Amino acid sequence: MKRFLKNNATLIALFALIIIMAILSQLKLGTYTVFLQSANLSNIILQVIEIGIMAVGMTMVILIAGIDLSVGSIMALSAVVSALLLKAGFGVVLTLLFTLSGVGILLGLWNGFWISKYKIPPFIITLGMMTIARGLAHFISNKTAIGVSNKTFNAIGGNYIGRGLSITILVLAFFAIIYLILNENKQKKKYKIDTNRYNTIGKIAALTAGISVAFYIFLGHEGIPISVVIFVTIILSGIFLLHHTKFGRRLYAIGGNEEAARLSGINIFKSKMIVFTIMTTLAALAGIISASRLGSASPNFGSLFELDAIAAVVIGGTSLTGGIGTIKGSIIGTFIIGILNNGLSLLGVSTEYQWMIKGLIIIMAVWFDVVNKRKKI
Amino acid sequence: MSKTILKMKDITKDFPGVRSLDNVSFSAVSGEVLALVGENGAGKSTLMKILSGAWPHNSFSGEILIKDTLHSFTSTKDAEQAGVAIIYQELNLIPELSIAENIFLDREFTTIAGKINWNKVYSETKILLKELHLDYLDPEEKVKELSIGKQQMVEIAKALSLNAHILVLDEPTSALTETETEDLFKIIKKLKTHNVCMIYISHKIDEIKKIADKIMVLRDGKLIGKTVKASSITTNKIISKMVGRDIKEMFPRHKIKRGGKTLEVKNLSIDHPVLKGKKRVKNVSFKAYKGEILGIAGLMGSGRSELACGIFGALDGDTTGKVFLNGKKIKIDSPQAAIENGIALLTEDRKTLGLIMGQSIIHNTTISSLETVSGRWIIDKLKENDIASTLIKKLKIKTSRLDDPIDSLSGGNQQKVVIGKWLNTNPDIFIMDEPTRGIDVGAKVEIYKLMHTLLKNGVTVIMISSDLQEIMEISDRILVMHEGRIVADLSKKQATAKKIMHYATGMEKTK
Repeated sequence: MKRFLKNNATLIALFALIIIMAILSQLKLGTYTVFLQSANLSNIILQVIEIGIMAVGMTMVILIAGIDLSVGSIMALSAVVSALLLKAGFGVVLTLLFTLSGVGILLGLWNGFWISKYKIPPFIITLGMMTIARGLAHFISNKTAIGVSNKTFNAIGGNYIGRGLSITILVLAFFAIIYLILNENKQKKKYKIDTNRYNTIGKIAALTAGISVAFYIFLGHEGIPISVVIFVTIILSGIFLLHHTKFGRRLYAIGGNEEAARLSGINIFKSKMIVFTIMTTLAALAGIISASRLGSASPNFGSLFELDAIAAVVIGGTSLTGGIGTIKGSIIGTFIIGILNNGLSLLGVSTEYQWMIKGLIIIMAVWFDVVNKRKKI
Repeated sequence: MSKTILKMKDITKDFPGVRSLDNVSFSAVSGEVLALVGENGAGKSTLMKILSGAWPHNSFSGEILIKDTLHSFTSTKDAEQAGVAIIYQELNLIPELSIAENIFLDREFTTIAGKINWNKVYSETKILLKELHLDYLDPEEKVKELSIGKQQMVEIAKALSLNAHILVLDEPTSALTETETEDLFKIIKKLKTHNVCMIYISHKIDEIKKIADKIMVLRDGKLIGKTVKASSITTNKIISKMVGRDIKEMFPRHKIKRGGKTLEVKNLSIDHPVLKGKKRVKNVSFKAYKGEILGIAGLMGSGRSELACGIFGALDGDTTGKVFLNGKKIKIDSPQAAIENGIALLTEDRKTLGLIMGQSIIHNTTISSLETVSGRWIIDKLKENDIASTLIKKLKIKTSRLDDPIDSLSGGNQQKVVIGKWLNTNPDIFIMDEPTRGIDVGAKVEIYKLMHTLLKNGVTVIMISSDLQEIMEISDRILVMHEGRIVADLSKKQATAKKIMHYATGMEKTK
């Protein structure tokens, strides 16, 4: 039980926050619980997508004891570039390809090159890139927002997949995950590893709860937004990459002890290049989703988003010194920030208070984490 | 004026599973240099750490008397105040600060308002340096601009400014050139006239003969015989005191026949990464054979580990020379390349170079050989679990859960995990740098037996060790290194502790 509480502390904090927000909004806004309405919950998810996508990449970056300050600016640059490309008459597919590779991959390779080849601290390199990308975004957009009115493009961030399809997807996901859980147990038996019945039941219960909540949120509203499908795909790929591939394992090793990792035959240069490239590519994707949802691209997009992404990762329990952390935690952290933003606005708390509260929560989260870890040793 | 200034009585210190110091008693006299000699791990450093307060008074038993007063140090600061200063092998100066700032660090002369009187700091430094005939040093020069030798002088000056009566020098010449050593000896002689009592730790016998007044030998945490006058003992006698001990059942033998040549290194030289023109390994050539344990002996800093890292492709510095594997020339410029060629390197310091502390046992076991538990990309966790638990059983690692952090294991078991990690890469050449340092006797024997199993499977084992007895008993052939060169290639029959020490200390330079 203690172990469970410790391992799921951030998740519990998230639930506590949801309950507090629900009660407060009830008290403040009368009998009708606006906060828990499926439209509002769906809205929260849409609001955190950009930060959430970047938090997936940022988890990997921080896991290798790095940091990337450039992602907010890259997001803006990517939004502006995609808007301009569409305006210039490029098709949606070409626009996406150009933006993701030209802005995302290219700038990531640039960041990664300086960091891994010349061992310059990531803080400096990405601080530089933060200014460069922001400057570029302003330069090519002529300092103004650019309208985007391409139906297909706008669908990425704005449209929903129909209810029927949504139900099918959720039901399929439910059975697919159950199959995976049972299959894992079967495999474990083959290798004579003990399986825990309660563990399995717990997993299935959590899954059922999760799918039910998803049903409530999305079917109570208009179905699953396309951008949420992208978001979930990225989260799942990120988790898979970190926990089930050689690449992910190497990142943990590099963050835990870079010198030992090098002497264990890990190619540090390559791993770092890939991580910083994944990060900026995800930032570019976040920019595209922003431009698509809002129907316009401003060079001021994503300002301070890098800090929100870092905060989400840190709240989620990833250690800034590297080697420890999960994407699951970062996503919970993202939602904690998102719910704070949404809930506090809903309660009519003005922005200056919101900032202070957010800051305090970040400090508390890290303090809690540090104390928790110290006790363990 | 020669009077006893320091007495240490019945000092006993235990580490988990090991008695590091066993009833050590000695005294030291003002104005004399007392040499403390012994092999690595004999307990010299522990003894001096007790004297300097780095081990507080409740962590050992015994008494420290300075000027006939009993002292119980709780910190190095206490010892400093009692007049004990220690100059460590790794210098403790702050590179970016000037000589004067370093000497008077944290006790600058200040006005009541807290403003530092820099003029006084610099003038005091000047006086101090002059006293030591170090006038050629500029108090305003940054420490990082100084050579190691000069930095050491600054450390000594700092110790004296702290009014030290007892000065401990821990391997002071290990990083010095010959002229710098001469300069150091001049200072030591000067300090003798100032009535400073010096304890000089070294295993370079020739040096000790030159500078020490008295000599005491420490072995396995015990004083061997009494403190003797340096002029009354021969070099050979010192060496036999240092190494002579009875061989127990500790070292199992093997009866495996030596096979064909596997690894051949030709004219390997490795540049020093910082000091230009200096080489850490100089023109080294040797051959290793299937089914033999090739020992590499030498003192710390003789280039042993650098040679190993050089072969493994782990060094940044420029490397020249050729490496052949089974007669084929290979080019190894990274640890990945080494592993692909079937070379494994068990690094000297398992905590900083071997293991990823804080992460699980299983992850540490498979990190060098992920391809054995995965397809092109994806790790088969169950297969990984299977392989890791087989290894853990084979190596008799005591642990309950594979996903416990590696930190939860004892030193010996941690070392076995590192060995397991390399076994899983399926090496043909297994280089082990100090494989048994800091682990208990039982684990040592298991590691020796494991080496024999490796030999049976046709692996070439190269073992670097500072433990003379170990290297003599375990190796089939011994290379001795001194200052970056291989100075001897001894068969098991030829190798005696004395001979090895002679070569390792540079007493005999012929090959």
